Amino acid sequence: MINFEDLKSQWEKQPEAKAPENGTESIVVKINAMRKKQLITNIILVATLLVLIGFFFYVMAYRDQVVLWGLLTMMTALLVRIAIEIRSVRVLRRLNNGLDAKQFKVRMTRYYEQRKIIHVILTPLILIAYCWGFVRLLPAFKANLSSGFYTYILVSSIVLIVFFTVFIGYHLRKELQILKTLKET
Amino acid sequence: MKLKQDQFEQLYQTHYPKVMRLCMGYVKGDVDLAKDLAQEVFIKVWENLGSFRNESAVGTWIYRITVNTCLVQIRMKRSSQDTVAIDQLRAPEEVTDHDYEKHLKQLYACINKLDPTAKGIILLELEGLPQKEIAAVMGLSHEAVRVRIHRIKNKLTKCVQDDKL
Repeated sequence: MINFEDLKSQWEKQPEAKAPENGTESIVVKINAMRKKQLITNIILVATLLVLIGFFFYVMAYRDQVVLWGLLTMMTALLVRIAIEIRSVRVLRRLNNGLDAKQFKVRMTRYYEQRKIIHVILTPLILIAYCWGFVRLLPAFKANLSSGFYTYILVSSIVLIVFFTVFIGYHLRKELQILKTLKET
Repeated sequence: MKLKQDQFEQLYQTHYPKVMRLCMGYVKGDVDLAKDLAQEVFIKVWENLGSFRNESAVGTWIYRITVNTCLVQIRMKRSSQDTVAIDQLRAPEEVTDHDYEKHLKQLYACINKLDPTAKGIILLELEGLPQKEIAAVMGLSHEAVRVRIHRIKNKLTKCVQDDKL
């Protein structure tokens, strides 16, 4: 007949895990790597935006209404998505991990509910707007670019959109699983 | 910065074994997953060290971060539902290896069947934390913790006895 004290005694007999040598150094290295990664991401986002703005003036998009609205829609869609993502990262980073489990769960659930709205409503709308802008630009691409380059832009854009849809879908599934766990408790 | 590093080093050395054991309880004894979780915990400790206001004991604060991290991260890491790296655990010499491993495996499997809050409560109880402190970590009243511990103890003991793996 086993009682809880036997279980507790088994638990206590487990060998004590020793802190790894240079454990704190490896943590500091990881934190610095995370910060560097974030910096690189920000640089890429800013560079993408600068390229788009440069392209906007290079092709003198403001002279043609169709190209103007097509490019503006794509740029706005991209900017809104980037702003949403930066805000989400900041909200998650500011979340106080030292709260008690009950309060932490409430805040995490709220965070993932907001992420669900972003993934299910906002992201598809942004993607539709981006595609709409791209489709508006196609006649201008066809008229001004060689047939081969036009086909390349068309095919690569479709592949990219499919890739991002799958990528977003994967993250949505992962975040919904976390939300489910939080609500189960 | 140097002061923060020294303080962190001290916290790391003192609390790592407890954090690791708690994480092991959340991932059915998978040592590699538990190490990843423990590292995640101490990254958060480092990042939040400046905002720690001594409103609770530092140990309680670290337990809170551990429970919160494990709750969210276990869903994000690879599933450890069926793969228990129990062979990586070493039994104390005075206990028969086979029996010890079998019982510990059963214990981990039964803990894994509990809901996340119950899991947190019983792991802290197994670690020998006073109920008042468990209540502070979990954000529940002392009375609620007392009642829940009683129920979870019965459930866990019955599960291990019935050998329901």
